[in-house]
Amino acid sequence: MKPPKARQWIQMFAICALGMALGCGPDPYAGKVKIRYMAWGNPEQLDLEQHLCDEFNEKNPDVHVTFFKVPAAEYTLKMMLMMASHTAPDVMRVDHYNFPNLVAKGYFYDLTDLAAKDPTFHRDDFFPQAIDECLYKGRLFGLNVLFGGDLIYYNKTMFKQAGLEDPAEMAQKGEWTWDKFRECAIKMTKKGSDGRYLQFGFGAPSASSTFPVLACAIWAYGGDMLDKDFKHAVFDQPGAVKAFQMIADFRWKDHCSPTQAQGENSLYTFEGGKLGMVFDFMGLTPRYRKLIHKFDWDVCPVPRGPYGNTTLCKGNQLVIYSETAHPDAAWRFERFITSEATEDELYVKRRRCFPTRKAMAYSAEYLKSKLPPFNNWAFVDAVAHSRPLPINERWSEWTQAFDSEIDNLIAGRERDAGVVLRRAKVKVDKVLADEAGF
Amino acid sequence: MARAQAVRPRRKLTQQPGFWGFLFICPWLFGFLVFTAGPMLTSLYLSFQKYDLVTIKPVGFENYRRLFVDDPLFWKALKNTLFYAIVSVPLGIVSSLAIALLLNQNVRGIKLYRTCFYLPSLVPSVAAALVWQWVFNSDNGILNTILGLVGIPGPQWLQDERATPWAFAIMSLWSVGGARMVIFLAGLQGIPDSYYEAARIDGAGTWRCFRSVTLPMLSPVMFFNLVLGVIGSFQIFTAAFVMTAGGPNNSSLYYALYLFRNAFEYFKLGKASAMAWVLFCILLVLTFLQFRVSRRWVYYEGGDK
Repeated sequence: MKPPKARQWIQMFAICALGMALGCGPDPYAGKVKIRYMAWGNPEQLDLEQHLCDEFNEKNPDVHVTFFKVPAAEYTLKMMLMMASHTAPDVMRVDHYNFPNLVAKGYFYDLTDLAAKDPTFHRDDFFPQAIDECLYKGRLFGLNVLFGGDLIYYNKTMFKQAGLEDPAEMAQKGEWTWDKFRECAIKMTKKGSDGRYLQFGFGAPSASSTFPVLACAIWAYGGDMLDKDFKHAVFDQPGAVKAFQMIADFRWKDHCSPTQAQGENSLYTFEGGKLGMVFDFMGLTPRYRKLIHKFDWDVCPVPRGPYGNTTLCKGNQLVIYSETAHPDAAWRFERFITSEATEDELYVKRRRCFPTRKAMAYSAEYLKSKLPPFNNWAFVDAVAHSRPLPINERWSEWTQAFDSEIDNLIAGRERDAGVVLRRAKVKVDKVLADEAGF
Repeated sequence: MARAQAVRPRRKLTQQPGFWGFLFICPWLFGFLVFTAGPMLTSLYLSFQKYDLVTIKPVGFENYRRLFVDDPLFWKALKNTLFYAIVSVPLGIVSSLAIALLLNQNVRGIKLYRTCFYLPSLVPSVAAALVWQWVFNSDNGILNTILGLVGIPGPQWLQDERATPWAFAIMSLWSVGGARMVIFLAGLQGIPDSYYEAARIDGAGTWRCFRSVTLPMLSPVMFFNLVLGVIGSFQIFTAAFVMTAGGPNNSSLYYALYLFRNAFEYFKLGKASAMAWVLFCILLVLTFLQFRVSRRWVYYEGGDK
């Protein structure tokens, strides 16, 4: 083979240079402050956010926001790597499961002074839970988005067919207790002539990892997961044991909730009309509105126990990267995508989640809707009576240690919640006591 | 001699022997150094650090010490993986060989059969895992339905920690018609018919032909499949990640899954790197042992045995 001659080398170089020159044009956003924003979500959510970025760019000619989308499965890792390599975007959406870990490492810009300088920002406008999630050592490090609580979606038609009183009405009378819940779940469960279940009264989370949606049961009986300092597990105490025993019994004693195998492959779903009640987040509303047409459905608060009916709340935080060169422009953008107009569109009109502003949640427009659910007061009530999960820096590690122990309780191989939870405590305490990073 | 060298005209770089060869493997060489050797050395360095993507601190052999002494999940993951390797590798080799023998027959439509058996290995592993989730459903899955027909109550395959390791071993049979079978088939077709004819003249039956001709002639191929099978079985990840997330009660927490969790869920990069090097050493020792033992049973044409 002959080696290329000098002229051929020059020709090749010229072709490459031409290609590069054609690929690069003048910067269309020269002279503007450039902000990068990163988030994940389903296509609908991402379209909405792209639309918000475009609107912001139109209304703010001195700033240009570039929105880049990362698939949910890779998001956390990508974000961590970008932060570690000092290339993180100016503004990011962070799931609260990761927020305590990252804020403690100094990755987020302290927004306290920016918020104090901003005459349009008033902390009192917001639900305290929505602000508390964004605090670290009393300082503000984010603004809450996609915020909401956990409550019950119920099949109204199934309740009527079983001759049961509406749970929302029971809740308003203060009669919606865990005993009543169990009674309704059992009465709505039906079997076919072949012995197979046609429908279940309640769909308990089928994976151990989804236990947080039932945190309300633990709190209703005066139990908790971790102590106040997050140093020790306390779910071996009577309140939590009672709650876990009750949930296991729904499945293996009362048979009013599908087992993991029965529930696999979406055989019994709420939207399919096969479950009477499910516990879920407020953001499920658009999905159910889209999919449910064959029966009536609505929402109601979580049942009451001896210690009340506190439920959990959680959101995502919109944060500014601590190394951003443009904190003011980033703050302006953050304020824009958490503005009243945006919350009105996303949470009041489209019901993506729940508005963080109290006035908006209590407004007539939010409380009265033309489409189900109609008991919108239950959303407000849930958030007003909500508290956060004990999410600390080692959340994923201790919850996985916990999950592995309660697997057998959920699968019905072990029936005594007390024994299982005492074993789980030993494992979780070990994780919590371990030096971080090893 | 020195004089002769002095008068020899100096060759241009491009005329040096090997220059063009090196030039053409440059992209690969670059990729190997940057994307394989570089990360490997980096991970070796990280295995002696406490590193969480933010802070890095040298800790000597602490990551290794904690793995061996302090971490019951490391041992559980290793035990699960060893069980999977011990069951799935022989099962896979025997099944692949059996299918290869069947597909080596001279019957009508053999190409269609070969395609059909190869098809499952083309299915993406996540999709296959979801299909197997249906198969293993203890309430209405096909496996338990068949077992029920013959009067055997099927277990909760993916919810009972006693059954899960077997479920994964059975699932490994999904791809027996894949690359391993093709390699066996190629090996079988490489055995000259004259050997069988000679054996038959000597009075050998089908079994004897298989034992005394096919098996020895296939032994290098079998050895190759064994080495790759052991390495592959230690890397099981996707199925456990998708189907059970390591549960129930960590019964499907395989080595690679636990490594992944440490690296990308708990961000313990130092510990994960140490785990990667422990795995590398385990595979190195196992492969070395297989090479040593292979001298006793692998027959190479033209070799000493």
